[in-house]
Amino acid sequence: MHLVELSRQSHGGLRLDPARIGEQAARCHMVPLVISEFRRALADFPIVLAKSQETGRFAPYALMGLAPEENLFWDGTRLDASHVPLNLRRLPFAIGVDPQADGTSRNAVCVDMESPAVSEAGPEALIDGEGRDTAYFLGVQKVLHELLSYKLLTEQFVQTLAERDLIAEMRLNIVLEGGKPLVLTGLYGLDEDKFNRLPDAALAQLRQDGHLTPAYAMMLSTARIQSLIDRRNRLEARDRAWFQ
Amino acid sequence: MSQRLKSVCIVGGGSAGWLAAAVIAARHRTGHPDDIEVTLIESEAIGILGVGEGTWPTMRNTLRKIGVSETEFFRECNASFKQGAKFSGWATGAADDFYYHPLVLPEGFPSLDLAPFWNHYATGNEAVPSFSDAVCFQEAVCEKGLAPKLITTPEYGCVANYAYHLDANKFAAFLKKHCVEKLGVRHVVDDVEEVVLDQTGDVSHLRTAKSDELRADLFVDCTGFRALLIGKALGVPFRPCDDVLFIDRALAVQVPYDAPDQDIVPHTLSTAQKSGWVWDIGLQNRRGVGYVYSSAHSSAEAAEAELAAYVGPAIDTLQPREIRIQSGHREQFWKGNCVAVGLSAGFLEPLEASALVLIELSVEMISAMLPATRDTMDITARRFNEVTRYRWDRIIDFLKLHYSLSQRDDSAFWRDNRDPASIPDSLQEQLALWRYRAPGDQDFSSNNEMFPAASYQYVLFGMGFKMDLSGRSYLVQDGARAEEAFRRNAAMKDKWTRTLPKNRELIGKILEYGMAKV
Repeated sequence: MHLVELSRQSHGGLRLDPARIGEQAARCHMVPLVISEFRRALADFPIVLAKSQETGRFAPYALMGLAPEENLFWDGTRLDASHVPLNLRRLPFAIGVDPQADGTSRNAVCVDMESPAVSEAGPEALIDGEGRDTAYFLGVQKVLHELLSYKLLTEQFVQTLAERDLIAEMRLNIVLEGGKPLVLTGLYGLDEDKFNRLPDAALAQLRQDGHLTPAYAMMLSTARIQSLIDRRNRLEARDRAWFQ
Repeated sequence: MSQRLKSVCIVGGGSAGWLAAAVIAARHRTGHPDDIEVTLIESEAIGILGVGEGTWPTMRNTLRKIGVSETEFFRECNASFKQGAKFSGWATGAADDFYYHPLVLPEGFPSLDLAPFWNHYATGNEAVPSFSDAVCFQEAVCEKGLAPKLITTPEYGCVANYAYHLDANKFAAFLKKHCVEKLGVRHVVDDVEEVVLDQTGDVSHLRTAKSDELRADLFVDCTGFRALLIGKALGVPFRPCDDVLFIDRALAVQVPYDAPDQDIVPHTLSTAQKSGWVWDIGLQNRRGVGYVYSSAHSSAEAAEAELAAYVGPAIDTLQPREIRIQSGHREQFWKGNCVAVGLSAGFLEPLEASALVLIELSVEMISAMLPATRDTMDITARRFNEVTRYRWDRIIDFLKLHYSLSQRDDSAFWRDNRDPASIPDSLQEQLALWRYRAPGDQDFSSNNEMFPAASYQYVLFGMGFKMDLSGRSYLVQDGARAEEAFRRNAAMKDKWTRTLPKNRELIGKILEYGMAKV
């Protein structure tokens, strides 16, 4: 990855091939989410928490595979899901944080110059012949804007869950159809028993802060773990058929 | 029905007092009408000694049990990680003479004992790694200055077993806040003017400067060296053990780091000197360094010079504080309705950080055994005394082990330490057995052992001790399992020295981001 800040001068002629984002998505088994997309993500993915290797803090993710680098939704050309998480749709762009001399920081739109989607033969451009942002680039900006708008709210939501001790490790001991055992570690979810024992005042506070809906979305989304297992079983069955 | 025990009064607000208050209150104050009342009285005029900056891994469980967050503990106590101790210069005094007493057990221990195999390979072969390095990956982690966990490891969880280094003054303040705000401990700031006994010899009440009397059913004496209740009022004699452990002086300094980002050593450094040894403990903001020595073997000036040589140029701006100490303990720790915890119970040199752990074990036992009535208190007291005496004896043996095996011949201090007359019979017996076999669980059969057999192995073989296994060579003929364990250890060493962060880097992240509870 090589992130550089985007500028009209340097990147006015940049060509992009969004289809090639898939090469990155194909190797993601978890994609970070913001709370505004929980409702949409719930249709396809388990929404889980995992710790940042850098800070140890929890963040929400859409779980897309049952092993590192496995994406069970990638069908070879596209993500087979009704909602493609914003953090995939933004690629190869990102919001970078640029610390200022006075201690504050500034957000900057960056592009990953090493992404396969940055390609001279790509069909998309950032700026049209008249110097206006293209529809494609406006779409990217909208995605980046939503990610940025919900970043803090998402962090506050997860922080609240942690402070109220509502987070528990998910211990998934899966046995696939072929009899192969699968143990997933490092995934966390809401402790439903603790959640259901919360005093009324605490629940009222969660509702007031807008944390109730995303909390329920997380709890209900665990049903999607079975869809992942089903996808994996289908893949393995196909592989077995291939080798027979 | 006999008089019910309804209240406990702890006298003294150092680490011992506040740990006693916290552990007793965490168990006996639940919001129920039958709760025990826990009061701690401390003097504004008398400060706390504030030694005892190293803990055992037991402290993790103690902190968790009293309900504090490990992140808060790091933030408020200048705490850092301690992964055992590195002993330099103890065996021969040569420049490359060192060994570790790590906190991780030897690979495979106790179901597989690597000691005879290591002894077999290392006898007459200088190229074989030291015992602690061959059987435990923690030494390599320490040598690289790494932390015992990752930022993703939950509070109190670990990759490699660990204890803490802490600022004892800040620790007392941290516990005080928790006790008063969360555990419902009544905090009284006042001076005890008189300890008043009743006709049975029990402590009836304390007469204080500001109020007339403070009554309780059980008193915990945490008044430090003053031993106001157990010694002064109840007259329980002190039993010195300076015929075994010679150290009676400490010269302590707080050494600033050269730079704010200087590494924090993730273990205690214990460096042998001519007439004692220097402790060196890295906190977040400074090092605590001190020379403990025997005044019978060294003048104060010579000791100061040795400390200055250890500290280096920074010593010019520092004023070493001299503390006079006497190794030993009370004849009884619990008498009548008074039990002594901390320095009032006794003192031993800080060689294996036994001060805080003895406090933890004592207050845990007091809390668990807290007698329901006065007439069952004497049974409790007798048991407490037996167990506590056993623990002190085991620590004394273990400390003496470090000295008795030294080959140093450069001063009378080290020679006198090898005089059999100064070595307790219990230790001499163990050493006689270990000439032919490794320390094992069969040598430590009490429920109240202080050090596991593995600790004895680390010190014994670290000090250059070799067993004579010639009569039992069949025990080492099948080396396949042992070699597998040595390989496992090498693999762990490789993995964790590549994965674990630097000690200061992790502590910095803990201060900034905190650790997750799960």
